[in-house]
Amino acid sequence: MTGISLSASPSRFLIVLFGGRYLALDAESIQGVVTLEEVGSLDDPTIHGLVYKAINLADRLKILNNQGSAHSRIVLLSERGVQGSIRVTTVQGWLELHPSQVLPLSAQFCGPEQRWYRGMILFEKSIALVLNTSWVLDEQVASVEDSGGQGNIPRLVAAPKMSVNNSQVC
Amino acid sequence: MLRTGQNHHRGTARQSYQLLVFFVGGRRLAVKAVDVSGIFQWTEPIPVAGQTPFITSVVRQGQTVLPVFDLAASLRLTVQGSSPLCLRVKHSLGEMAMYIDEEIPVLHALDPATLQPYHGKDLPSDGSYTNGLDEIPILSVSQLGLNE
Repeated sequence: MTGISLSASPSRFLIVLFGGRYLALDAESIQGVVTLEEVGSLDDPTIHGLVYKAINLADRLKILNNQGSAHSRIVLLSERGVQGSIRVTTVQGWLELHPSQVLPLSAQFCGPEQRWYRGMILFEKSIALVLNTSWVLDEQVASVEDSGGQGNIPRLVAAPKMSVNNSQVC
Repeated sequence: MLRTGQNHHRGTARQSYQLLVFFVGGRRLAVKAVDVSGIFQWTEPIPVAGQTPFITSVVRQGQTVLPVFDLAASLRLTVQGSSPLCLRVKHSLGEMAMYIDEEIPVLHALDPATLQPYHGKDLPSDGSYTNGLDEIPILSVSQLGLNE
C-alpha cells in the first residue's frame, strides 16, 4: 500500500495555574512535580543529584504572583542538559492534544512575549498559554556560562521571531 | 444590538459612508461599519503577560480567541457602565476586540463631503466629522496597535 499519511502524534501538556492564569508546559520538558515538603528548605531543589535552580517566573513574565498556596507545586524542567524549576500555584492536570489544537499567539502581540509563549490552548472556559520552556531555561544557560562551569552545555535554541512587515512593527 | 442614527436618510445611503458611532469613557468615537464584524456583551478578558502596549489580554468567544486592544487605556479613559460591550473589529493582523461603554452603538450615514482630517494625535484616524460642536474621530482600525 502506498500513500500512507502519517498524522502528527499528539502532544502532552501539564496545565498549571500561575499568577491567576493558566499556563501549559510541554510534557517533554518536565522531569517531575514535587511538593514544597518534598523539596524541604532548599531554595534550589536537588533530585537524584541534579540541581533544579529555582526560576522566578513571575519576575521573568513581569507579573505579580502570590505563591502562598497550600496547593503550590514545584515543576522540574529540563531541556538539553539544562535544569530549572518553577513554583506554580496549583497543578490542574495533564492534557493531550493534537498539534493543530495549539493556536498561535495572535500576531498583534508583537513584543517579547512572542518568544515567551509557543501558542495557546483552549482550556475549560479560558485559555492556557503554552510556555516556551527554552526561553524559561535560557537564563539558566546564561548563568552556567557566566560561572564558567559545566563545560559544553549547548545554548538553547530560541523560538523563531515573528516575521513582520516593516509597516506593521509596533 | 444597534440603533439607527436619526440622520440616516434613504436618499443618502448610496453615496455615504456607513459609520458605527460608539462611546469609550463617555467620549464619542466612530469606526467604519465595514471594519466591524460584531458587537457582543462583555466577557471577562484573560490576561496575557507581555509588553505590547495596550494589548495585554485576550477574550474567548467559543472556539475563537481574540486579542483585546485596550482603547480606553490608550485614551486614558475608563470604560463606563455596568454592562460594557465588546466591539469585534477587522484588524490587518487579524480580528481584534475592544471594550466600549454600555451605551448601544448607533449607525450613522456620513456624507463624504463632510469628511475632514482629524487634528488630534491621540488615536489613529481615517478622518473625522463634526456633530454640533464636537469633532468625532473615525478610528482607523487597521492602524490600531501599530507604531505605538
